Amino acid sequence: MAWKLSQGKYLKDASKKMKSGLMFVKLVNPCSGEGALYLFNMCLQQLFEIKVFKEKHHSWFINQSVQSGGLLHFVTPMDPLFLLLHYLIKADKEGKFQPLDQVVVDDMFPNCILLLKLPELEKLLQHVTEEKEIGKKKYYKYSKEKTLKWLEKKVNQTVAALKTNNINVGARVQSTAFFSGHQISSDREEDYVRYAHGLISDYIIKELSDDLSKYLKLPEYSASLPKPPSKKVKLSDEPVEAKEDYTKFNTKDMKTEKKNGKMTAAQKALAKVDKSGMKSIDSFFGAKNKKKS
Amino acid sequence: MESGDEEDVEKRRIHLRPVTLCNAAPGTLHLLPCEVRVNRPAPVGRFFTPAIRQGPDGLEVSFRGRSLRGEEVEVPPGLLGYVMVTEEKSVGKQDFPAGSDNDERELVEPPEALERDFDRFIRASASFSRFTLWGLETIPGPDAKVRAALTWPSLAEAIHKQVPQD
Repeated sequence: MAWKLSQGKYLKDASKKMKSGLMFVKLVNPCSGEGALYLFNMCLQQLFEIKVFKEKHHSWFINQSVQSGGLLHFVTPMDPLFLLLHYLIKADKEGKFQPLDQVVVDDMFPNCILLLKLPELEKLLQHVTEEKEIGKKKYYKYSKEKTLKWLEKKVNQTVAALKTNNINVGARVQSTAFFSGHQISSDREEDYVRYAHGLISDYIIKELSDDLSKYLKLPEYSASLPKPPSKKVKLSDEPVEAKEDYTKFNTKDMKTEKKNGKMTAAQKALAKVDKSGMKSIDSFFGAKNKKKS
Repeated sequence: MESGDEEDVEKRRIHLRPVTLCNAAPGTLHLLPCEVRVNRPAPVGRFFTPAIRQGPDGLEVSFRGRSLRGEEVEVPPGLLGYVMVTEEKSVGKQDFPAGSDNDERELVEPPEALERDFDRFIRASASFSRFTLWGLETIPGPDAKVRAALTWPSLAEAIHKQVPQD
């Protein structure tokens, strides 16, 4: 079976120097708690996550062969702290300082021990834990305050990236506006923050995501605002895909439509996807990832 | 396409053969707007490729009598595309499908600490830095999902890069 996957050129360069050490393993998804596929580079000691683009009715021609499914895998660097955080929060129920090798244990995903081999873990952990040193050994305890601070920084740097990618966003928004006659207001700071919050929320548990939302002082959507009559967008089934997209910047709109009783089929589909006005990374990739070779 | 025994799947590691990343020959890829429900060799070079023409609205071709329009799409900067093939879970290495590269048949290296008996292997069979994106009748627009997906790596970088310490 064939995979398509994009990965950094530096992986290729690094691969010249090593005989082994690139491996795909199943680890926990820090948001859902389910299994997900990751790539470890043991030589460069880096963790990568894998996302799959999957959309109905696609296939590949690869040289002189055909490959059904049309999948496109993306291998992108992952901050291991999101995974560590998953275990730290779990261990926090015991409410005491613990050494890391007692925190990162998982019967379901035993490969999680690979996380402990990543470099500079101690430095990373400072963002989200209180620590104690007894003898030569370090003991850690989850700190919500520090974690929220850390997540806020993550949100800020994601907002910055969203703005730098503005050309992309702008182009897409414009074209949607063109097709739907939908006047899209200028992107407000709050929309960026909300969008970035949604992206980050795909790496943390729901509870923490809610706390982060409060911490960022993201206002609740006001359902009481009068809404424009939902415009019927009829362009085959395309608008569904389109709205799934960056135009979710303007999630406010969708949210109000949702409350609006009358929905087109497309809007119903959207309402299903968009649970809380958050941007989900999965929307970049179509259906839920079917990880696995 | 997993083979039968799944019990060790959580423990299992799939090792990517690094040498194949260096040696993967550039491949030609087309993303079609239809599902072909088989995976097998196909005479793409005989029927499809020679029929591609440069039209006023991008590339033109037809497949099964339907008209397709397409354009070249670049792999995002800093990334490289690979076609990966999982290796059959066979003890011997003699049963590679014909056409697979010979250097993979060299003697098995002594297994390193990270490799275990039940682990499996995957290798890059081709590389690419662009592919042709096809749409039915029209070129997939800027809202096409696949285009959004291609912007993912730049966002992922921002989400996952380390934040400065206080």
